[in-house]
Formats: sequence, C-alpha cells, structure tokens
Amino acid sequence: MQTQPLNNVDRACSRQTGGIPTVPGIVTTENLSKSVVTSDGILHILSSIDLIIKSGESIAIVGESGSGKSTLIGLLAGLDTPTSGNVSLNGKLLTAMDEDGRAAMRNELVGFVFQAFQLLPGLTALENVMLPLELSGDKNAKASAAALLDRVGLSHRLSHTPQKLSGGEQQRVALARAFVTKPAILFADEPTGNLDSKTGAHIIDLLFELNLENKTTLILVTHDQALAARCQRTIRLDSGRIVES
Amino acid sequence: MTRFNLALRLLWRDSRSGELTILTLALIIAVTSSTAISLFADRLQRTMATQAAEFMAADLVISSPATIASEWLSKATQLNLAQAQAVEFSSVLIEHDELLLAGVKAVSSAYPLRGFLKTDAAPTETVHHSGPKPGTAWVDKRVLSALKLKLGDALHVGEKQLTIGNIITYEPDKRSDFYSFSPRVMINADDLQATEVVQPGSRVHYFFQFSGDTKALSEFNHWLKPQLNPSQRIMDIHDDRPELGSALERAERYLGLSSIIVILIAGVAIAMATRRYTERHFNSTAILRCLGCKQREILWLYGSQFVVLGLLASTIGLLLGWFAQEALFRLLRSLLPQQVAAPSMLAVFFGFIIGMATLSGFALPPLLRLKKVSPLKVLRRELEPLPSSAWLIYSLAVGIVGVLIWRYTGDLKMTATILGAGLASLLVLGLLVNVSLRLSRRLLPHLGLTWRFGLQGLLKNSRGSVSQILAFSITLVAMVLSFIVRTDLINDWHKQLPANAPNYFALNIFPDQQQNFQQDLQQQQIDGSRFYPVVRGRLVTINNTPVQQIVSKDSQGENATHRELSLTWSKELPVDNKITAGSWWPDAQAGQVSVEQKLAKSLKVKLGDSLTFTVGSQQFTATVASIRELRWDTMRPNFYMIFSPGTLDAFPSTFITSFYLPENRKDFLNALVKQYPSTTLLEVDLILRQLQTILSQLTEAINYLLYFALMAGFTVLFAAVHTTLDSRIHEGALMRTLGANRAFLRNTHIIEFTLLGLIAGLLAVVISEAVIYALYTYVMHMEYKANFYLWFYVPLTGALFVGLAGCWGVRNVVNKSPLEVLREL
Repeated sequence: MQTQPLNNVDRACSRQTGGIPTVPGIVTTENLSKSVVTSDGILHILSSIDLIIKSGESIAIVGESGSGKSTLIGLLAGLDTPTSGNVSLNGKLLTAMDEDGRAAMRNELVGFVFQAFQLLPGLTALENVMLPLELSGDKNAKASAAALLDRVGLSHRLSHTPQKLSGGEQQRVALARAFVTKPAILFADEPTGNLDSKTGAHIIDLLFELNLENKTTLILVTHDQALAARCQRTIRLDSGRIVES
Repeated sequence: MTRFNLALRLLWRDSRSGELTILTLALIIAVTSSTAISLFADRLQRTMATQAAEFMAADLVISSPATIASEWLSKATQLNLAQAQAVEFSSVLIEHDELLLAGVKAVSSAYPLRGFLKTDAAPTETVHHSGPKPGTAWVDKRVLSALKLKLGDALHVGEKQLTIGNIITYEPDKRSDFYSFSPRVMINADDLQATEVVQPGSRVHYFFQFSGDTKALSEFNHWLKPQLNPSQRIMDIHDDRPELGSALERAERYLGLSSIIVILIAGVAIAMATRRYTERHFNSTAILRCLGCKQREILWLYGSQFVVLGLLASTIGLLLGWFAQEALFRLLRSLLPQQVAAPSMLAVFFGFIIGMATLSGFALPPLLRLKKVSPLKVLRRELEPLPSSAWLIYSLAVGIVGVLIWRYTGDLKMTATILGAGLASLLVLGLLVNVSLRLSRRLLPHLGLTWRFGLQGLLKNSRGSVSQILAFSITLVAMVLSFIVRTDLINDWHKQLPANAPNYFALNIFPDQQQNFQQDLQQQQIDGSRFYPVVRGRLVTINNTPVQQIVSKDSQGENATHRELSLTWSKELPVDNKITAGSWWPDAQAGQVSVEQKLAKSLKVKLGDSLTFTVGSQQFTATVASIRELRWDTMRPNFYMIFSPGTLDAFPSTFITSFYLPENRKDFLNALVKQYPSTTLLEVDLILRQLQTILSQLTEAINYLLYFALMAGFTVLFAAVHTTLDSRIHEGALMRTLGANRAFLRNTHIIEFTLLGLIAGLLAVVISEAVIYALYTYVMHMEYKANFYLWFYVPLTGALFVGLAGCWGVRNVVNKSPLEVLREL
C-alpha cells in the first residue's frame, strides 16, 4: 500500500510539538460575532458562534439564504475579520494577526473551492493550478499541477483557458488548484451551486475522493441536503446563530 | 527571483490575453512622442543655434575698436577654439573720377568660422567657405556700377591695388551698423597693412571671432568678461541679434510646450488604461490574496510587471521615436540647413526617462488600489477596494509632470503657470460637472426612453463620468493648446515680417531734401514708413548723477551710455510702440522724453526723472514723461529716446526712413543715390531674407509637431474611450437579454458618448482659454485674444470623436450574441 505524505498540518504540528497537536480542533471559534452598520441600524449577521472542528473532519454548514453561512466561512478562512470573538486555525489565533499574517496562514494551510469557480481568466488550466505552488516558491509546480489535473481527468485540457472550459471542467480545475498544495483545511462555498445535478454529483465524488486521499479537513457551505448528508457533521445556521450542530 | 519569474509569467499571460494592449500602446505613444520630440527639438535647437551662429560667422565674437591683448587669443588657442578676424572701416574709393564711400572688411583666411559667403557667378551663386585671397577684392554689385568697373579690373583700396575677383552677394555676419551701410568691399587681412588706411586714431572696428565646444566657449566667455574695457563687447547669438533671439526663444518654448502636451496626453491615457487594468484585476487579485499573497507581494507582483512593461514599451518607443524624428528631418530636408546637428544620446536617454517617469506618475495611483483588494471578494463579488488617497497620490503625478515640464522649459514660471492654471481649472470644473450631472438627474422623468437610458449611462456612475470627462478634456485641451499657440505664433511672425516689410533704410536725409525724397518715393508708389528727424546725442546724467555710476557693466544701459544715441521727436506715438507707464505728452510742452522700456529698466529710469544729454558741445535736459514698449524686429526706424516736439529744435538734424523696394525695381536705388548723394542707403534685404527663411523653417517644423501632437491626441483619445467600455458592454449585453433591440441600444450609446464628448469639449474650451491667457500674458508675452470659434469646433470635435470611438467600441454589443459578449467579459 502506498503511504500518503504528511499534510501541512501534520508537518506544522510536528515542527511545533513533536507530532502532538496542542489544541483539540484544527479550527476553533470562540464567541464569534459579525455585525455591520446599515442605514437602518446595526445588522447582526453572526452572533456568538462557538465551534471546534477536528483535523480530518468533514463539516457541512447549511441554512437559508442570508443565514450567515458565507460570512462564517469567510471568517473561518481568515478572509474577513469578526466584530468580536476569536478564530484559531491550527492553534494560532487568526484574529490576533494582521492581514499579511492571515495571508501567510492561508498559503500554508488553506485551500478554497468556490461556487463561481474563481479561476484567473487569462491563465490556462495548468497555469491556474500551478499558481498557488508558484506563490510558495515550489520548483516542481508544473509537474505537480499536471499530475493533479490528470487526477481530475483533465490531462487533455491543460492549455485551455477558463473561457473554453465547461462549468464542470472549470470546477475540476478549481478542485485541482485547491488540492495541489495539499492543504490541511479545504473551504468549499456551494461547490455545486453553478452546476447541473449530474455534473455536480461528479464534482462532489471527486471532492470527497481527494479529501480522503489528502486527509484534509473539509468545511463546506451548501444548500444541498444530499451533499450535507455525506459530511460527518452538519452545522445549521438560522439568523446568524447555530441552531443544530 | 522566483517571484520575479512569476511576475514575468503573469505579465506574459496577461499580454497574451490582450489585457495589456491599450496600456502598452499608450506607453509606446508616450515614449515615441517624447523621444521624437525631445530628439527633434534638441537637434533642431542645436541646428538653429548653429545657423544663428552663422549670422555672426562664429559662436562668439569680441567686438573692439582696437586689437585685443594677445593673451586673450592664446587663451582661446589653449581652449581649442578656432579663431578668425574681421576688420571693418570706411574708405573712399576713387576710380574713373567716380567717388564712393565703401565699407571695407578685411578678413583672415579662417573667416567665416560659421556659415559661408556667396558670390555671383551668373547664372548661379557660388558658395565659399573662405574670403578673398591676398591681392583680390570681392565687391558689392553697386561698387561696380558706381565706379564703372567690371570683374577683373583693378580697384585701389588706400595705397593697395587689388583685382576684383568676385561679386559678393551674401555675407553671413553683415551687420546693420554704419560700416555695413555702404557697399561692401571685402579684402584679405594680409593686404590690410599695405592699404595704409588703418592708422593710429582711425575709426576701425575689429571683430575677433571664435567657435568651438560649447563648454570651452562658456569658459572663455566667463574668463574674458571681467577683463573687457568699456569699449569692448562680447556677443553671442542670443544677445547679438535680438530679432532672431526672440524668434528662436519662442520656437524653443513651443517645442517645450509640445513635449509637455504629449506627456500630458500620454499620462491621461496611461492613467485610464491602468485604471481599467486594475479594475479587471480585482477578482484575480482577490484570488491571489486568497491563495496567500501578502499586500506588499501583490504590489510587488504588479509593480514589477509594470516596470518590465515600461522597459519594453520604452525600448520600442525609443526606436519608433528615433525613426519618427529621422522621418521628420527627412521631410523637412529641403527647408533645413544642410548640416543638421547629430542626435544626442542625452536626448534619447531623456525620452526613456520620461517614459518611465510618466508610467510611474500616472500608473501608480490606480495600481495602488490593487493592494487594497479584500480576499473576501472571492465570496462577495460586489466588494470594491477603496480608492487610494487620491490627492496624496495624484500629487505624485502632478509633481512628476511638473519636474518634466520644468526640465523641458527650464522655466519655473511657465511650469507654475501651466500646472497652476490647469489644476485650478480642473478642480473648479470637476465640481461644476458634478453639480450639473446631479441637476440633470431631474430631467430624467421628462425624457423619452432612449434619451433617458443615454443620460442615465452618464449619471449612474457620476464619479466615473466626471473623471472620464476630465480626462477627455485634458486631452482636448492639450490638442487645442498645441493648435492655438502654433497658429498665433506663426501669425505673430508673419505680422512681424510681412511680405512687404521694409528692406531699405535711408539715413542722413537733410531737412531740405526730406520733402522731395518723400515725393520721389510716393511717385514711384513705394511703401515707406514715417520720416523721423534724427539728432545724434549722448546721455550723460540721470537726475544729475553721471550714468556710468548708475548702470551695471555689460548691461544694455551700459552699452547705450558708451555711444551716441539717435534721438528723435514726434507728436504722435509711432506705430508698434505701446506706452507701459506714464502718458504720451500729457501737455504740449517741450522738454519731455519717452524712454524705451528695457533701456529704462537697465538705466533704472523712472517717470519724472530728469535726463541730461549732450549734442556736440551743447547740453539739454528732459523729464521722463512715459516708458514705451516696442518691437525692434519690425524693420521700421525705432528709437530708445523720443522727445516731445520742440525739445530738439536747437540742434541740426537729418531724417531717417525705411521703405520696401521690390527686387525688380532695384534700379530706382541708383537714381536715388545720384539725386541724394549725401544720403546713406542701408540694404537689409539679406538680413530680412535670412530671417524669413528661418521663420518659415520654424513654422514648418512647428506644423509637423502639431500634427504629431494631434495624432497622438486622437490615438490616445480613442484608446481612452476604449478603457471605459467594459461596464457598458456588460450592461448592453444584459439589456439585450431583456429584449432591448439593436437600434435602441445603438441610439442610447450614441447619446451617452456624444454627451460625454460634448461636455468634455465645452470644458476643454474653458480650460484652454484660461491656460492660453495665462501662457500668453505671463510666459510668451503675446497678445491674448478670445478664440470664439473654439466654442463651436472643440465641443463638436469632442462629441464626434468620442461618439464615434465609443459606438465603434461597443459595436459588439449590438452585433454579437449577448451570451458571447457575457462570456468574453
């Protein structure tokens, strides 16, 4: 049997503590709140969210539109800052870091898959997947990216730009880009939201396969009950509060 | 290094997808134009300076009534300066019982150091680079007819017999002073001693001429100046021939202005193209941020791409600029002197620096916005980064443009005027446009659907519309400035030298001859200027203080106090003279004087001062009643001092006038000379022709520069319209999906773009008039007149051009399927 390489968290943890994680969860939040000031007063988008997500766990965040799912995932990934409360990734307090610190964390630990794919329009499929590796200075970027595109079944589409790819193909490229750095945590925001059910099902299969292979912690936002059911745990949000965990 | 490679790869990928085309084009235009103009201006300037030097036959001339110290000449030798000498004096020639007062000029073998001599060898003229050989003389044609001589005959100058070798038709440094009035006889300096004309005490003028390296000349000039005695003068091109000096100076300023204009136009294009580039990269930047790029890494990533792009575009621009100026010189070959100065590497380098500076000044502010893109934008696409602190950052662009303008013009005042007037107008008018746009919102409910959508196109992003309008305005202003200043400059030159500008001066007309002389001219229907009485006198004291104690050395005032001035009186203010202080004879009393402005300044003379003059052995005093401004280059008699009628009655006077005699009526001159033998006729035809040639060359060059600036302007305007199209194309495609037909969309686009161009055009007129007024009044010293026709043509051009370019740009919305359009965005 082939041995899976250590993922980033294992490596990071090994460096820090000789292999014993120092916190119970890879993602934890404490009394996390987000509110914005509007012309009608203060709007509370998220209130007092406490979460502990363990390494390797798969979590679905579900809820109605406007319940705060995307805001929560944005805060967990360090894309946004909370009004109050804390977020820790791999034991490090994201809320104590500046934007550049959070950027470094994202590069080291996090992968993303978006509903709108978010591929760079001017780059080919291969170049899009190479990009995160190039940013971290990986010399084998091209080979790793090509291998992963092969893994998602796109070896014949390497030199195609996003405009020439179908939605399903674009999302497969996005998956390849998300996994190419072997992230410890993968955030997925409605990954099948823009796809038909058959293509969506293919993508989800692929996502879970890759997740298993890489032992990644998966946090995904979805409306799709079937997809949520495939995760180990479901967190339901309503009006910015956790109503089921 | 890896990061740099990544930046290079991103740049390559962006360029492949066409993202950088407009930005690169704008940059190439900027560098091409600035290099071409910088090179062209530099070469033309140096060519013109060399040609102007030809008017002195040297780069630097010491004029002196006696020979100069030999150590001065050794110093010149030590500085590797080439040297020549010319000695001028008057001598009466007698042949065949005929007498003629001739202006003799003895020249050394190196004469002329600059320019050439021409002699008449019918049917063509022959060009010579040195004067007559020893034993020969070259003479004016008039000498032959007056003394009944022909080529090859003997001519006696003093005790020396010479052979007439050539008829001289052109002498580069022929001057409009006494020695040049009379017909020229040019001899070799080696024959001078043998003539025995020059004796101690003779009135002789020596011209020691030098040419060579600019630095050495300047060192020589500085070394020499303190050692000159009051009767000696150093002349260089700028102060020796004021009429040429001012034409050159203005032309240089126009060249400078053209450069500034092209930089401005290009800057606007770069700013707009970078803004589009930036906006199209918000999403990509958010993804990069999401993937872990830090803010400064983002800036570095894009910044280094821009630097590489700048270097590439500058190199292409340099090459194109080089070819463009070569082509320009080829085009103008027939008009320019045969020897055109070589391109200087400094000018090439300067074009390059300008490219990079313009890029950084105009591209950095929009580019800095990318730094502020939030990674959250990947989840919420509507998040736009805050604009950079605009005032702080645009001051960088203004600063850089300011430095460039200052470097080009070398004129702080001009720089401040342009920047100040431009910025103030922009600020006020930007506010004005904003307010008018807001007000026109009220019109919306009363308009038909097409007009409503057209106007809404402008109103929904009024901030964007204001900046677009201002950007188009700046481009139009630049083009208008280039056009108007050029037209006025050329008109001014034509006015200065009309086709029938006087080409002869008649001096020493005795009072009893004046009326007959005037009648003779009238009978022959010859255009003449007024007859002015002339009394030769010297200014001795100002408010009883000797003038020598008042004036500074080497000033105009100092020169004026060392020689006799031509004093005149007049009841009316002469044409072309303008009173700048005081008034023209407030009362009819004698004893008042009007002083020329520059001399008054140099002599520190104020209204009410009392000036004492000597005429012969007599003295008289007059009070300063007015200060006058006048143009010396009109070829009419002009005076430093004009007295009120009656002041000079006690002194003997002669009359002076100038007139225009066409080429085919030169025989009339002989009749005049015969009838009025005591009158001196001064021919200024050659000077006039030289001046006209130079001015027509400058005019041509300036026309080409204008075409160049206009071409750059239109190209950039087109590119700029293109940078504003994305959101319009997107909206158009959406509208089509909602059922809008092509005609509706086409019409709303026509309305929107035409309005945009029209408003920009109107603004451009207002700003142009303000800048032209400031420029003329404070910098170019030209008369400002409102250009009413601009109010029609500029808005029309703006509306037409922006309308056409805009509709062409969004044609895909109308012609392609909406889905195709949406996918391309």
